[in-house]
Amino acid sequence: MKLRKIVLFSAMLIGWSVTSLAQSKIVSGKVTGANDQPISGATIKVEGSASAATSTNDKGEFKISAKEGNVLQISSVGFKSTSVRVTAAGNYNVNLEVYVNIMDEVVVTAGGIKTKRKEIGTGGTVIKADNLIAAKPVTVAGGLQGKVAGLQINATNGGVNPSFRLVLRGQRSLTGNNQALVVLDNVIVPNEVLGNLNPEDVESVNVLNGAGAAALYGSSASNGALIVTTKKGVKGASVVNFQNTNTWEKPGFFPKFQRGFGAGGSAYGYWGNFSYLENQSYGPAFDNVNRPIGAPLENGKQDSAVYGYSEGHTKFWETGMTNQTDFSISSGDDNSTLYMSGQYVTVTGTTPGDKYNRTNFRMNGTRKVSNKINLSYSSSYTQNRYDITTQTGSMYGNMLNMPNNVDVTKYKDWRNNEFANPIGFYNPWYLNPYFTADNWRSNVRNDYFVANLEVKYTPIQGLDIVARQGITTRNTSNKDWVGQFLYTAYAKTTDQSSKSDIAASVNDGTSYTTNLLTDFFAQYQRKISDFSLNVIGGTQWRQDQAKSIGISANGLVIPGLYNVSNGVGTPGAGESNYMARQLGVYADARVGYKGFAFLHVTGRKDWVSILAKDNNSFFYPAADVSFIATDAIGALKNNKVLSYLKLRAGWSKVGQVNLGGVYGAYQLLPTFNSGAYGFPYGTMAGYSVGNTLVAPNLQPEITKGIEVGFDLNLFRDKFTSNVTYFDTKTDNQTVTTSISSSTGFTGLRTNTGQTSSKGLELTAHYTVIDNRRNKGLTLTVGGNYTYLDNNVNFISDQLPRLALATYGSTAGSYAVANRAFPVIMGYDYKRDAGGHVIVNPTTGIPTKSDTISVLGSAVVKDKIGLDLSAEYKGFRLSVVMEYRGGYSAYQSMGTELDWSGTGWRTAIYDRKSFVFPNSVYWDGAKYVTNTNVSIANGNGNNGFWTDGINRDVTSNYVTSGAFWKLREVSLSYSLPSALCAKTKVFKGITVSAQGRNLLILMAKDNYYTDPEYQDAGSGSNGVGLTGINQSPPSKFYGASIKFTF
Amino acid sequence: MSLKSNKSLVKHKLFNMKMIKAIFFAGLLIVTASSCKKQLDINTDPNNAVIANPKLVLPQALTGTASNLNGFNSMGAQLVGYSANAGGYGGFGTSITYNFSSSDFSGRWSNTYDNLEDYQYIINYSKDKPEYAYYGGAARAMKALSFQLLVDAYNDVPYSQALQGAAYLTPVYDPAKDIYKSLATDLDSAMAYFVKGDATSGVTPLSTYDVLFKGDVVKWKQFINTLKLRLIVRANGKVTFANTTFSADGFLTSDALINPGYVRDNGRLNPKWSTWGYTATGDANKAWMPNKYVMAFYDGTKLIDAGRGANTYYKFPLTGTNQLGVEGTSIQSSPSGSFWYPLASPRVYSTAGSSPGPLKGPTAGYPVITAAEAYFLRAEAALQGITSDAVQANFDAGVAAAFKYTYALENGSTYVSDPAAAVTQYRADNVTSYLVNFALATSNAQKLEAIITQKYIALNYVNSEEAWNEYRRTGYPTVVTGGPAYATFASTVSESTRADKLPGRILYPSQEGSYNTTNLPKGITPFTSTIFWAK
Repeated sequence: MKLRKIVLFSAMLIGWSVTSLAQSKIVSGKVTGANDQPISGATIKVEGSASAATSTNDKGEFKISAKEGNVLQISSVGFKSTSVRVTAAGNYNVNLEVYVNIMDEVVVTAGGIKTKRKEIGTGGTVIKADNLIAAKPVTVAGGLQGKVAGLQINATNGGVNPSFRLVLRGQRSLTGNNQALVVLDNVIVPNEVLGNLNPEDVESVNVLNGAGAAALYGSSASNGALIVTTKKGVKGASVVNFQNTNTWEKPGFFPKFQRGFGAGGSAYGYWGNFSYLENQSYGPAFDNVNRPIGAPLENGKQDSAVYGYSEGHTKFWETGMTNQTDFSISSGDDNSTLYMSGQYVTVTGTTPGDKYNRTNFRMNGTRKVSNKINLSYSSSYTQNRYDITTQTGSMYGNMLNMPNNVDVTKYKDWRNNEFANPIGFYNPWYLNPYFTADNWRSNVRNDYFVANLEVKYTPIQGLDIVARQGITTRNTSNKDWVGQFLYTAYAKTTDQSSKSDIAASVNDGTSYTTNLLTDFFAQYQRKISDFSLNVIGGTQWRQDQAKSIGISANGLVIPGLYNVSNGVGTPGAGESNYMARQLGVYADARVGYKGFAFLHVTGRKDWVSILAKDNNSFFYPAADVSFIATDAIGALKNNKVLSYLKLRAGWSKVGQVNLGGVYGAYQLLPTFNSGAYGFPYGTMAGYSVGNTLVAPNLQPEITKGIEVGFDLNLFRDKFTSNVTYFDTKTDNQTVTTSISSSTGFTGLRTNTGQTSSKGLELTAHYTVIDNRRNKGLTLTVGGNYTYLDNNVNFISDQLPRLALATYGSTAGSYAVANRAFPVIMGYDYKRDAGGHVIVNPTTGIPTKSDTISVLGSAVVKDKIGLDLSAEYKGFRLSVVMEYRGGYSAYQSMGTELDWSGTGWRTAIYDRKSFVFPNSVYWDGAKYVTNTNVSIANGNGNNGFWTDGINRDVTSNYVTSGAFWKLREVSLSYSLPSALCAKTKVFKGITVSAQGRNLLILMAKDNYYTDPEYQDAGSGSNGVGLTGINQSPPSKFYGASIKFTF
Repeated sequence: MSLKSNKSLVKHKLFNMKMIKAIFFAGLLIVTASSCKKQLDINTDPNNAVIANPKLVLPQALTGTASNLNGFNSMGAQLVGYSANAGGYGGFGTSITYNFSSSDFSGRWSNTYDNLEDYQYIINYSKDKPEYAYYGGAARAMKALSFQLLVDAYNDVPYSQALQGAAYLTPVYDPAKDIYKSLATDLDSAMAYFVKGDATSGVTPLSTYDVLFKGDVVKWKQFINTLKLRLIVRANGKVTFANTTFSADGFLTSDALINPGYVRDNGRLNPKWSTWGYTATGDANKAWMPNKYVMAFYDGTKLIDAGRGANTYYKFPLTGTNQLGVEGTSIQSSPSGSFWYPLASPRVYSTAGSSPGPLKGPTAGYPVITAAEAYFLRAEAALQGITSDAVQANFDAGVAAAFKYTYALENGSTYVSDPAAAVTQYRADNVTSYLVNFALATSNAQKLEAIITQKYIALNYVNSEEAWNEYRRTGYPTVVTGGPAYATFASTVSESTRADKLPGRILYPSQEGSYNTTNLPKGITPFTSTIFWAK
């Protein structure tokens, strides 16, 4: 095989006159790279001589004939070329810096095709291993945060293995999938694989921001793609790495609590009076007197607490601990390479009792079978195990419903402490949160296997025929259980108790998914005088299959035996099966002219199983051009200021089938539900008309878009930048929209609507100081900026808005015609024309609007990532910050905080009567400014905060979503290689300390939690909602040590 | 560099060879593509049924009606003074202020329409299939019943354009009076389907798929007559019905109970039992307890009814009671199994049942309309001159049927003690009360009060929503605002602006505001807006 040799051109030419008198002699030396590993196959050329060239052997050694005064040019793929002058000395040891000139960098793009960056006419970002794992994230998604223009990553929760939502260039599909396609070593994998991949195994992540760049992946690619490539062994000596990292996790931002008032309320201890029973914090001001809490126990003992503010609510969350151990071996020779790795991670969370562990194995390799046949493979196996509570939300809610004067943490030992045990627990209405966490548990196991085999046959030079088979399979099982708890008769009946026995139950489920991807394509590359041609034709076959079975039993008889056979009555059971297939045929051609102008066109036709036969195929083309002005225009060549300028533009059309459900299978016909109301009864079955209507002839959604941009480097690449503007529209939205239940149905699945997304992506870096060659100080600063304008243009005349994710059926995230996608909607106060809140002229109480209205946009309009990296004599510092702004979030936990009276808002009027701010009332003829009608029951359980409309008015809890986060800070130190060499064991030792989310600054009106969280989950487009299902956002501190052998 | 041109020469030679390969490759693709077409034909749903017939739909639809009625019962019970907030719970909010929001009781709307769609499916399915005439008739009757539930709760609702799927995505709201008029016609049509079924040879019998009347067509006809009577009595003087005659089959004389085979098993219990008594694995709702107002009709405050009192309430006459809206440490907690399960033992989820009273047990049938209600409707219809029935005979039969219902045990056919003797005792205990001894009622107002008051007692936790409808229509049983706790069932923290301090209606659900915004009637409040038949 002889692919076109990628010639790295040396940027630094040293004008040196050759002494013609000098005699030729044999010069020898050794070329090494990172960690002083020898580089084999490096090219050594004598400058000015066309023929004098050689390459290094396996040990990195070379011999070449040269004259004194000659300049040797040393180059190797993946390293910065360098030159040395031949002097009297005969031996040259050259260390090459890992560096690739940006314009000639080879990147892996769609379909695993390797292309030079300069040939690409679409925007994207490549994140390399060093950059990805600097702060030792446990997941790849976590390591990408803040680093890529146009990519928005949201942790959908806290927890031991947070899920992430990854969206490129905003949302396109109203209710379908908007997440970026994840491709791991040429295999399309589910997004969750990113959370289970060992980040240490990743060589690079190529983010293809637009649909055009990813068009080869077919209909999955309309959301852009993340091409993740794992490490391969390198030809040369073997390298063994061993690393251990410990990370501490501490909650870094808490809801804001009021600190002045404790237990009391109108029902149980009238407001102003202390109540020993009440859980709501609407009592009198703190006086720091020790008082009883709760009813006395059956044995007469009485719990008590000082009536003063306790920090218990913030101390409830624990310090989590993550331990990662990594091991990898990399090796290679002329015919094969091998990379093997293993990782073991254990995590304890900030939620009491939550545990998680993960084990990864990977084996990647290549093998040259003959000059014409090359094999490569990658495979990984991951298993993870969760032992967590299922009730994070209710546990958090229970905790918030403990009065401010009670230190929650003293109730941790509920098994032995009689005041903490549910029987004696002082609060009859809300369970001890520690008990909740212990009594509702979930054990989940996931096993993932991802593998890819590739055979490449090169019958003639320039023609490659590639066959690939990829598989991703997930095998999972879960057991969720609730423990039995029996109260004493005394506990059940004493003093207002609503305690009732908790029956034990168990849910057991098992499922698998298997995704198969077969690729077969031919690639032909040729150069005809000034033109280069690269043509690909291929076909892709995809099959996705899933099955799950769940079974449940209630009223378990033997305590502690969580088995479905231990229940009473008929166990509940359910089964579901899904299969979808897709066939794609595609062609891709790239024509280059003189290495500075490139035209790239692709076309693909897909047939899918999930649409009706007459409708199930669709074609989509894409094209892009790139023009390297600095190569094309003579005047710009070798310019000291302008070192690189590429102009690019692209157009694309991609279809996506978004039918909802699993893989979109079986969504074309309305169904009948069985099993409601206890059916079947004996031999009698029951079916009921399903709730979703389906419009005939459902079509794919079509995204059409353009992008234009440029890559600009200045000052010999000290300054690098790229800028992309994009504009896309998505038509024919497939939507299951909620409809009036008076139609007899609650949803209609139909094609309607259009969304648009346009924006600007900008990345720039500047190497302020560059002393890399002498290992002196090198400092690079830069960042990325994304501006996003993401809108719903229209849905349909009959359905001007669509609920994406809601609480009840009111407050939530909606798609609304001519508005940002999505917006937060909910109730507001009734207001006059001037926006003043209308209050009742006698009670002073405001009123709630009749219908919901738009309260804010949930689209992150501005996103900034800033980074800094500095190196000095083995030290390396890197910092990443991220800002998001220009959007709002609905903080649903606000209602719980107001209910419990622990929330900051509830004390802003010092629990006294107050005139509602900025309000007016109707005096019979007009609205007059309210200065004197105050709300009487401003403090108390029955008062303004809990029982009135306060908690129903959504706008009370809509806050700015803006934040600054110090995402990553890491400082590492690599021991000098000479020192390591002395040990004769280690080739390198690196120690590092790192932190993530060290600083979290929220908007001033955000008293609640991290707006990055997504209460609706990673799969929902209803972003902009947070709640108590997510534990408070955390800060992470860690340290690691890495040995290289 | 001369080597390079050599290479391209070599390539030129191979070009033909490559062309052949390319053609072969393209051919392979086409073959692959066409053979794959069949492989794509895999979209048959392996998880859910996409077709069903009325035999499969009717049983679940009727059972769904029972579940829906149970929701209406819970709503009616708290609104009409059967229940009050119990100790140990807070946060009753609008349940005690009556200042309802659009999310209160919103399940009544969505569940009823969801249930209605199943009946509509049977109606559509059976339209041109005479062999399914009985199913079409049953579905029409149940559709009328469900729409009356909606109108009585919401007044104007979507009717003429409702249940037609995509044809009307935002159905208009029809005036409540028009709907009432149409429902009577629909019931005539239901009757016609049964008549047609009788005349169709090879008609599919309802048989056991009919979990309401077990295939008894005569009872269905009586049921239809009774539903029509209820419409006409309630809208008397407000709606001009097209046809006010009834078929010769008469009215229900026994309780119409839905029972698909309720059993003490997960999700298969009588819904009223699992809401208030016990679930399959433990305690049910303990947030409510008997209201002082209704207790006065049992404990001698207003009437003496020791028999039904003891067979309705736990620990009667020492049953815990409360006045709606009163919260505080003085209020008792509900016992396990609630106060509406009268037996002292067994009071555990695994064996409780076999009881008289409104809950009876996990396997009891769910009442759609009781014989007592039918008799009281007939008494009132006669009193109003709608029919020429006998007033007192039906009144007395109503009281007797009410006692029978209360005294019936879980199986519905055996009684805790002789209900007839208890009725006699009841008349004797209240010998001066025209509310019990109908002959003492002299004016039509007193007669109506007696009928509705006895109906109120008969419907206690049986079909509570009907009692609420009748109170709003007639003002009976009487309430006195500002008197003792037992004199009114209005909440002590009522925000109602009405004279009786009670709500007039519930609000349209928020979903309608979201999905049917234009048609939704505006300006509806719980206090000033009323149902068209309201007093």
